[in-house]
Amino acid sequence: MNKSELDSILKKAQMPQPPEEFWNEFPQQIARQLNRGSDARVAKRVGDAASPLRNWFPRLAWGFATAICILIAFAIGHWRGQMETKTVASVASSDILKNAKFVRETLAMFPNQVRAIVKDEHGLNLVLSEKENVPSSPPLYVRICDGKNCSSFVTFSGQEIQIAGQKLTVLSDAHGGIILAGDKLVWSSDEQTLAKNHLKIEAKNLGSIVM
Amino acid sequence: MAPPDDEFNWIQHSLAGDPEAFAALVKQHQKMVLAIAFRMTGSLADAEDLAQETFLRAFRQLNSFRGESKFSTWLCQIAMNLSLNWRARENRRGEIHSQWAENAMSENDSRDQFPDELSRRVQNALNQLQAKQRAAIVLTVYEDRSHAETAKMLNCTEATISWRVFAARQKLKRLLKRISHE
Repeated sequence: MNKSELDSILKKAQMPQPPEEFWNEFPQQIARQLNRGSDARVAKRVGDAASPLRNWFPRLAWGFATAICILIAFAIGHWRGQMETKTVASVASSDILKNAKFVRETLAMFPNQVRAIVKDEHGLNLVLSEKENVPSSPPLYVRICDGKNCSSFVTFSGQEIQIAGQKLTVLSDAHGGIILAGDKLVWSSDEQTLAKNHLKIEAKNLGSIVM
Repeated sequence: MAPPDDEFNWIQHSLAGDPEAFAALVKQHQKMVLAIAFRMTGSLADAEDLAQETFLRAFRQLNSFRGESKFSTWLCQIAMNLSLNWRARENRRGEIHSQWAENAMSENDSRDQFPDELSRRVQNALNQLQAKQRAAIVLTVYEDRSHAETAKMLNCTEATISWRVFAARQKLKRLLKRISHE
């Protein structure tokens, strides 16, 4: 069978015909259905026109959701920023010289050479002896504030430190008390003596936490 | 065939919401739509339902008709797409369909009585084609559409249509071999 023979057979095939009245009735049936649906359709069109918000609602919803997400992200970022600032601040406020690990490791790096670890407006400084002749003793922490300017250091009993514009000798007594003696001040941790009213001094023996 | 001006006016009035104008369009194209639906389904009852669905959908989508093609082509595309979707929807009835030939003789619906044996056997053969192959044959053979037009309607390439037509013809030749010898 070739192509034209097949086409001939296919085209000869007729479909069953609906009754003759079907062809007259069918268009009217469609028209009736459209009439029945017209009220609803018109209502829908009017609804669509009268309610542009409905068309915009998905976009508004997405916009709103995006804005909320941005706000949440901003709030989280802000909160984390604040937390980080607080952490930095708390780290800064908690003097590194009070950090037993830091002190211990620094002393271990220069055994019997460290005369003092000083922290002032210039940063951290290590005051070393040329020889390993610094006697082993519990480290002493001292913090001196002149108004908002604070300096702190870790040293050992008997060491002489230049700090806050004056030379101080740091001494420790047998009971763990700390004495600062300089040209212009004498201060004892036991008596909390103030040589000058505007100086605020804090001192403690780090022996128990460092050694 | 109505003069193009009439058809244009009917379309314009239909767009304005005049069901009677649309009824005129239905009257103009109902035979084509019903024929496509019947060739695709093999059932006059289903074809009538599909034809109705085709026209209702056409009315709803009439504002998307740009006039770039003939109205009949646009309508034909809707009818064919619905028929193919109907096939997908009715896949569960696939077995029923494949047994259609066996049951055709005992068909109760007298409306599906074919005018002759050849017509029944041809439709039986068409029913055994894959839906997309059948669509290609219906459009190219029965609706005299070119492969290019058919490809556009079925949203595929011309080469795909050519292949489908070729494969469908091979199968139809095998199924209708005895007819050619009779």
